Amino acid sequence: MTETKDKGTPSLSRRSLLKAGLASGVTAGAAGAASAARAAGDPLIMEIQDWNRYLGDGVDAAPYGLPSEFESEVVRRNVPWLTADAVASINFTPLHELDGIITPNGLCFERHHGGVAQIRPQDHRLMINGLVDTPLVFTMEDLKRFPRENHVYFLECAANGGMEWRGSQLNGCQFTHGMVHNVMYTGVKLKTLLEEAGVKTNGKWVLPEGADAAHMTRSIPMEKALDDCLVAWKMNGEALRAEQGYPLRLVVPGWEGNMWVKWLRRLEVGDQPWHHREETSKYTDLLETGKARRFTWVMDPKSVITSPSPQMPVSHGKGPMVISGLAWSGNGRITRVDVSLDGGQNWKTARIDGPSLSKSLHRFYLDIDWDGSEMLIQSRAMDEHGFYQPTKNELRAARGENSIYHNNGIQTWYVHKNGAVENVEVS
Amino acid sequence: MLKSLKALSLGTVLVALASTATAGDAAKGEKVFKKCQACHAVGDGAKNKLGPHLNDLFGRTAGEIDGYKYSNAMVKAGEDGLVWDMETTRTYLAKPKAMIKGTKMAFAGLRKDADLDNILAYLATYSEDAGNGSEQSEAPSQDSGSQVAAASASTDPFAAAASNTRDDGVFGLGRIALAEEVAAWDIDIRPDGQGLPEGSGTVADGEVLYTDNCAMCHGDFGEAVDRWPVLAGGHDTLTDDRPEKTIGSYWPYLSTVYDYVRRAMPFGNARSLSDDEVYAITAYLLYLNDLVDDEEFELSKNNFLDIRLPNEENFIADDRAEEAHYAEKGEPCMTDCKPGPVEITMRARILDVTPDDGGDDNAGVGAVD
Repeated sequence: MTETKDKGTPSLSRRSLLKAGLASGVTAGAAGAASAARAAGDPLIMEIQDWNRYLGDGVDAAPYGLPSEFESEVVRRNVPWLTADAVASINFTPLHELDGIITPNGLCFERHHGGVAQIRPQDHRLMINGLVDTPLVFTMEDLKRFPRENHVYFLECAANGGMEWRGSQLNGCQFTHGMVHNVMYTGVKLKTLLEEAGVKTNGKWVLPEGADAAHMTRSIPMEKALDDCLVAWKMNGEALRAEQGYPLRLVVPGWEGNMWVKWLRRLEVGDQPWHHREETSKYTDLLETGKARRFTWVMDPKSVITSPSPQMPVSHGKGPMVISGLAWSGNGRITRVDVSLDGGQNWKTARIDGPSLSKSLHRFYLDIDWDGSEMLIQSRAMDEHGFYQPTKNELRAARGENSIYHNNGIQTWYVHKNGAVENVEVS
Repeated sequence: MLKSLKALSLGTVLVALASTATAGDAAKGEKVFKKCQACHAVGDGAKNKLGPHLNDLFGRTAGEIDGYKYSNAMVKAGEDGLVWDMETTRTYLAKPKAMIKGTKMAFAGLRKDADLDNILAYLATYSEDAGNGSEQSEAPSQDSGSQVAAASASTDPFAAAASNTRDDGVFGLGRIALAEEVAAWDIDIRPDGQGLPEGSGTVADGEVLYTDNCAMCHGDFGEAVDRWPVLAGGHDTLTDDRPEKTIGSYWPYLSTVYDYVRRAMPFGNARSLSDDEVYAITAYLLYLNDLVDDEEFELSKNNFLDIRLPNEENFIADDRAEEAHYAEKGEPCMTDCKPGPVEITMRARILDVTPDDGGDDNAGVGAVD
C-alpha cells in the first residue's frame, strides 16, 4: 500500500475515468440538485418531462424485446490481441454489469473454433454409433419426445483467467473472469439417449462431435456421460442461441466448457479415449517440470468480486456499499464465500443470496460501511466438499506459469480512495 | 448496383458473364474461395482480415484500400498503374509471387485454369465493375422466390422415416443408422490406429499441398503467421519461460495430427482433402519437425503406428487434488493470515493491455488455448 502512496494518485484508465467521472458528475449533480431543491426543487421533479407527457411505443414496437437503449454498454467484449482471427476466437461475459445468478442469453460469452454454424433444425441429425447395440439417428423432433429435464449449470472455459498466470494483466472482471455463464438448460439426459441405443459392456468412453466447420470432438468417460450430462436445445426457456450451438448442444456440468460440444451431431461410444486435438495439443496443463496434465476436466472452486471492479468503480463515496460477486465450483454447491478488504489478512463470511444449486453460479454480497480508505478486496469460495480457492502464488508454486488453463486463484482488486478500481496482485 | 447484383440468383449472373471474358461458374468459385477466406472477406459488411476485403475488386488500383497495410511491393505496383481486372487478377492468382515479388500474400497460387475461371466469376458477383472493361448490361431482376421455395420443399427422404418409432429400444425413438451414414460421419482416429483409412502420401507431395493449403497461416516452415498455431520447432522448450508447444515438441500422438487435419483443416475448407492428401500433409509435418528426414518418405496406414512422437511420455493424469493447497489445507484462515503487511506486488495498468482502455495497441502475453 505504501508503494502507491509514494507515487501519489495513480492515473486511471480511460474507461474507469469515464465511469467515475460520469458518476462523480452525477454525485455533484445530485448534490447540486439537493441544494437547488432546497431553493427551488429538483427540476426532474418540479418540471414535467417528455416521458411524462408524450406516449411511448405500442406493444409490437419490438416483437423480440431488447434491453433499454441506456444499457448499450452492457455487451460482450473481446481481447483482439489474443487470437489471430475472429472466427476462431473468444469474447467475454460482462459480469460486472450483471446481478443474480442467471446470465442473459445474449450476454453469454462465445468461443468458436470455426465460426457460428447456422443450421436449420429440420436439417439437423444426431447420430449415436460405435459400441452400441443399435446405431441410431435422431431428428430434433425425435429428441423432443424423450422425457426432459431442466437444470441450471455454469459453463466455464478452462482458459478463464488464462491471461493472468504471469501476473495481473487485464483491468476488468469481464476479461479476467468473463469466460463463464450460467443458464437453465432444457434437454434429455445423455444417459437416456445412450440407453436407447444400448451401450455394450466394453463401452467406456463417449466422443461427442459438433456439426460446425471445426468438427469439435472430446473424449468423455462413460461414468460422467451416464451421470448428469444433458443433450439440450433450450437455454433460459428459449431455443439455444446460434452462437451457443443451435439447435443442439451437450451439457457437461461442472466440467470445462470445451467439452460442451455445440451443434452436437454425433455421439460415438468407444473402449478408449481418442486423444484428439482439443485434449492433447490444447486443454492440457503444462507444468513447470515439462510434464503436462491431461483430462483435467473439473472446474475448481472459484469466485470473483464483480462490483466494485475495474469496470465498475465506486461512484458514491463513503458510507453504505454493496460488495457483490459470483462463486462457483465444478464439484457441487458453494457453501461459503469469504471476503477480505485488506488483501487477505482478515476475512468476513459473505451472504449467499438466491438459489444455491449444484454446479451453478452463486451470488454473494457483503454489505459494508466504507470509511473511504483504500481497500484490497478479495473473495474466497469454498464448495460442499471443503475445497476452497488457493492464492495465485500457491497455484504458481505448484504448477509454474505455463498452464494456461484452470487458474482459480484468488483475485485482488485495489479500490482507490476516489473509487477507481485496479487489478493487482499482493504479497 | 452491388446489392441488386447479389440479389440475383447466381445463375443469372452466369448468364451475364457468359457473354464476357470468362466462362467461370460463380457457384463453383464460391467453393474455390474457401481457400482464400481465412484471410480475405467478400460480401456484405466484408472487412479487411489478414488480407484486404475483396468487394469491388475489379477496377480497384492495387494497394488502395484504406486501413489495410499492404506490402511495399503491392503499393508500388499500384503506383505503377496496376489495376485489378479479370486479366491481371488471373495472372496474380496463378502465381502471386511471380507477378508481385514481395507481396505479403503467402498463398502459392491456383494451379487449375478452371479454378481461376470460377473464382474470377465469383469475385465478379461482388464487383460493380465486371472486370472486363466493357459496360455490363443490367441483368433483368428475377424473382428467385420460387427457386428458394423449391429448394426447401425438396425434403430429405429420411426425415419422415426418422420421426417414426422403432419396434425396439426403451422408447423406440429414432431410426437405425445405415452403415454408409455411419461411415460418412465416423472419421475419428485413435492413437492405436483405429479409424485410419487406406492410403498413403509422401513428404514431397505434402510439401506442395502444405504450401497451397496451410502455409498462409502456419508459415512456410510451420513457424506460424501472426497468432496462428505454430506447428514445428520448439524442441526442448517445455520448461522455458515461453514454451513452444508444437507437434514435435508437445503433441503426444501422430494420430491426432491426421484426425485434426482431416476433420477441420484447411481452415475454412474442412473435409476438402483426400485421405492420401492428409497422409502427405502429415508426412510433411513430420519432416518439418525433423522426425523424418527423407523427402521420399511415404506415410501410410501400414507404417503409421511405427512413428512415435517424442513427448508422448510426458503426459500425466490429473493430480490437482494432491497439490499442497488442496491436500494439506484445513479450515481457511480468517484473521491475521499473513506474516507482514500486505504489499501490492503487481499492477495490470503497468502493462496496459486492456481493450478500450488506451491499451488497444499493445498485446499482452498468454493465450486462451
